[in-house]
Amino acid sequence: MAVADPATTVAALTSIDVSDRSIKWARLRKRLVVWIPAGFVVLLLLVCFVGPLVLPLPPPVGGSVLESQLPPGSPGHPLGTDVNGNDVLSRLVYGGRASLTVAIAVNVIGLVVGGVTGALSGYLGGTSDTIIMRVLDVFIAFPSLVLTIAIAQILGPSLPNTILALTAFAIPAVARIARSATLRVVNMPFVQAAELSGSPWWRILLRHIAPNITPQMLNFALLGMGIVIVTEGALSFLGMGIPAPNPSWGNMIYEGQQSLSATPLLVLWPSLALLVTVLAFNLLGENLRDEMSGR
Amino acid sequence: MAATAETTSIRTEEKQSILGRMVASPLIRLIVRRVLVSIPLLLGISILVFVLLEAIPGDPARNAAGMDATEEEVEAVRRSMGLDRPAPERYLTWLGGFVTGNLGKSSVSGQSVSSMLAERLPVTLELVFLAFVVSLVIAIPVALLAARKPGGIFDRIVMVISMTLLAVPNYVMALLLVLVFAVSMRALPAIGYVPIDEGIIPNLRSVILPVLALGLPLACFYARFLRGDLVEQINSADYVDTARAKGVGPWKILWGHAFRNSSFGLLTLVGLNVGGLIGGTVIVEQIFAMPGLGQMMLQGVGSLDTAVVQICVFIFAAVAVFANLLVDVMYAILDPRIRYGSR
Repeated sequence: MAVADPATTVAALTSIDVSDRSIKWARLRKRLVVWIPAGFVVLLLLVCFVGPLVLPLPPPVGGSVLESQLPPGSPGHPLGTDVNGNDVLSRLVYGGRASLTVAIAVNVIGLVVGGVTGALSGYLGGTSDTIIMRVLDVFIAFPSLVLTIAIAQILGPSLPNTILALTAFAIPAVARIARSATLRVVNMPFVQAAELSGSPWWRILLRHIAPNITPQMLNFALLGMGIVIVTEGALSFLGMGIPAPNPSWGNMIYEGQQSLSATPLLVLWPSLALLVTVLAFNLLGENLRDEMSGR
Repeated sequence: MAATAETTSIRTEEKQSILGRMVASPLIRLIVRRVLVSIPLLLGISILVFVLLEAIPGDPARNAAGMDATEEEVEAVRRSMGLDRPAPERYLTWLGGFVTGNLGKSSVSGQSVSSMLAERLPVTLELVFLAFVVSLVIAIPVALLAARKPGGIFDRIVMVISMTLLAVPNYVMALLLVLVFAVSMRALPAIGYVPIDEGIIPNLRSVILPVLALGLPLACFYARFLRGDLVEQINSADYVDTARAKGVGPWKILWGHAFRNSSFGLLTLVGLNVGGLIGGTVIVEQIFAMPGLGQMMLQGVGSLDTAVVQICVFIFAAVAVFANLLVDVMYAILDPRIRYGSR
């Protein structure tokens, strides 16, 4: 068997070549499914936050009724104007800015407050853990849309209040994840070693537990971006989110719905923006998770 | 040692009486324990509803009396509604009524909450039930077909379409469906609900679009989950190799072996989704003007109608809790390991 049959060698070589190519292709695809949505998210952030400063966009509010419902491609209005004569493209950009601001703020607050609560609860254990988790259970079992609507009504419609209302359902969800992630590491040798060496509890949480649960939390936050954007849209759609003349994708969809049969594009543009953005965040979250779990 | 002692004590109980046997049954223990745990949860939720509605600015007495009522009239309405009493007392009165089956009256219409429920609950239940049926009827065959050749053309198309549809919020889905089927094709009514006693066909026609708006994203979710689980089983499970070695055909392996196992996970997901889906009806009912529970709740929040919101939120939360319990019980029945392990 030392001397290989030439035919077998050739076959083996070609098959290696083929599988090598398919492995390369698979690797490339794995990278693409992360980089394409990541690139889109970066582009979106640039357009929504830097765009209004650089691009010659008309203001998103205060349009003239004389210019209402211009078709797409009209001079100065590439996507046309809405019922109130405001430029649709400009409203999409400013609306995206509102949606992303809300989503980022809610996720950051959720990560910090929920993460600390969950990690603390999981690390301390005992009665305090039970009490914290029971309270969170109430918030989690509560219909989320009703919770946000009620809080939005208490605080009144505005951008900061929308953020506060949405954190009410983000914090408990994040805390749950943080707690279960903490429970996984809390009995590991490095935590015990730190405890034995006399580190105070806050130091153990900050230096030993936090770094270990952070990847999982960030990943959850990416998937959470999509959920928050959708829920903000629902809140604005019901008229309890970003207050009216200011644009958000949700209230643009709601305004467009009034004239759905006449000008369906007014609903389709913000819907498309919402869909692609949520899709990008979902793809990013899902593929990063697969990569981290080594799938 | 402790476990052995407990088992023996259960054995003796079993011999004693039917009641003893019921207490000893792990399944009944599981149910009782879960029901007991959910009571404080539901109590907490009802307190939260009450506190939230108290905190929303606005005066329910003024709402009920009408905008042009005089100050005295409003005060009279306030007293007749019991709103002049302190909040904790009002909450306890409501709770007492609830426990004894008296759900109170709507502060807006004066209609009894139970009769409102009798009108509206069937609408929401119909939507939710049909949405689950639609989602499973779509998801199961699609997942089986996709898992037959993982990475094949059908599989890829399914994965791309389902990923995209998953990113569509239900209110966008609802409007797109209206645009296609009601506005362009004029095939189905855009809004409104036709009760079932006006004929089953008109009733179904009126609910198709809301059911699809709720069911399509779910179908994608289930199809993706089921396809992933089936592929994993086919690739790794020993019983699949055994079945293959016996000469069982690929379809039979998929349907008769892998799907049976995957159906556990699917069942759990369905149970977990019940809460989310019934919450999703709030906005879909609003768009399609369906006189269901979600619409009733939304109006109740708007008019600070505590009795109405309380019962709606209670039903939403209780259904979610109960669905999870049902999933656990079915698990325990189907898989004895869980039944005995969880004690």
